[in-house]
Amino acid sequence: MNRRGLLLPLLGFLILSVGCAAAPPKKDYTVFRAANPRSILVIPVVNNTTNVEAPGLFLSTLSIPVAERGYYVFPVNMVKRVLEDEGLSDPNLVHGADTARLCNLFGADAVLYVSIEAWTAQYMVITTQVTVEFDYVMKDGKTGDTIWKEHKRVVYAPQQQNGGGSPLASLVAAAVQAAITKAAPNYMPLARQANAEVINTPGVGLPAGPHNKEYGKPSDSWK
Amino acid sequence: MSRLRVLLPLIIAASYAAGCAPRTAYLWGDYDSALYAHYANPQDSERYLERLGRIVQKAEVEKDKVPPGLYAEYGYALFEAGRLDEAVTYYRKEREQWEESSVFMEKMIRNTQRLKENRPGPAPGGELPPPAGIPPGAAAAGEAK
Repeated sequence: MNRRGLLLPLLGFLILSVGCAAAPPKKDYTVFRAANPRSILVIPVVNNTTNVEAPGLFLSTLSIPVAERGYYVFPVNMVKRVLEDEGLSDPNLVHGADTARLCNLFGADAVLYVSIEAWTAQYMVITTQVTVEFDYVMKDGKTGDTIWKEHKRVVYAPQQQNGGGSPLASLVAAAVQAAITKAAPNYMPLARQANAEVINTPGVGLPAGPHNKEYGKPSDSWK
Repeated sequence: MSRLRVLLPLIIAASYAAGCAPRTAYLWGDYDSALYAHYANPQDSERYLERLGRIVQKAEVEKDKVPPGLYAEYGYALFEAGRLDEAVTYYRKEREQWEESSVFMEKMIRNTQRLKENRPGPAPGGELPPPAGIPPGAAAAGEAK
């Protein structure tokens, strides 16, 4: 009786934690595999928020994770400037342009369309909650079809760590943290985290590209 | 769920510290922060050029660790500074390292060379005045396609 009293909550906790860790449903990569892109054109991001700095900041975080996954990524700033010279200085225009035409212009296999859906800092009494949310869509340069897409929202609120220290000490710590965040909310780590999770999560992320050792191998578990 | 949210970054941080997180395939240096500093302050193009140059220099120590797009990005910054010959040099490096870039790089090399022919006056800082007899609009034509 006593043992069961101990076991039940344990079991319950186990089930709960399994539920938490369960992988999201696997994507179907048939279309992606058929397109088999080597090179990816990352175009300027569409900004659906009121933060004017967000697009430039976020654009700068995209090349590294995509390239590290094994794809050739076109130089984002150069691409942005060349598009401007072509009369496409508004990201909305670039996103509305024909995918095949864009790919022809640069010799790219696929285009990564990203939009920023949230980029906010919500100030509370002693902490600041920072939220970012993005939409990622990759389209094939030959067919214009969507070959991969993902959505990500990441929220960060500094946690008050009460374990150990006195309540006063942790209150002070939280106040210090809030002051720092209030002065200049730092979105970059959150943006990088969102990208990393979206691109690298098995079953939903990008399969390894041709420059990755895992490319086409069975060990690339999510093809 | 909130426990997971606290734990996950911790685990990631710990695995980085332990050195078991996969190292990056390329030497990026501070490429991303150089880019966003440039977006935040576009007038500061000299500093941007200088930072990119340093990243290239460091990455080039190991040839196969130069990130995709880096040579081209640096080449374009040189181009914007009016250093057209050097720009072409780096476009060529990009093309050599990454065959995927060849269509784009060849276009840029052609455009840059055409621009140079049409504007033989050396890049900013040169002493030769542009020779007479250049048809008006020639430079502009060079810029198109």
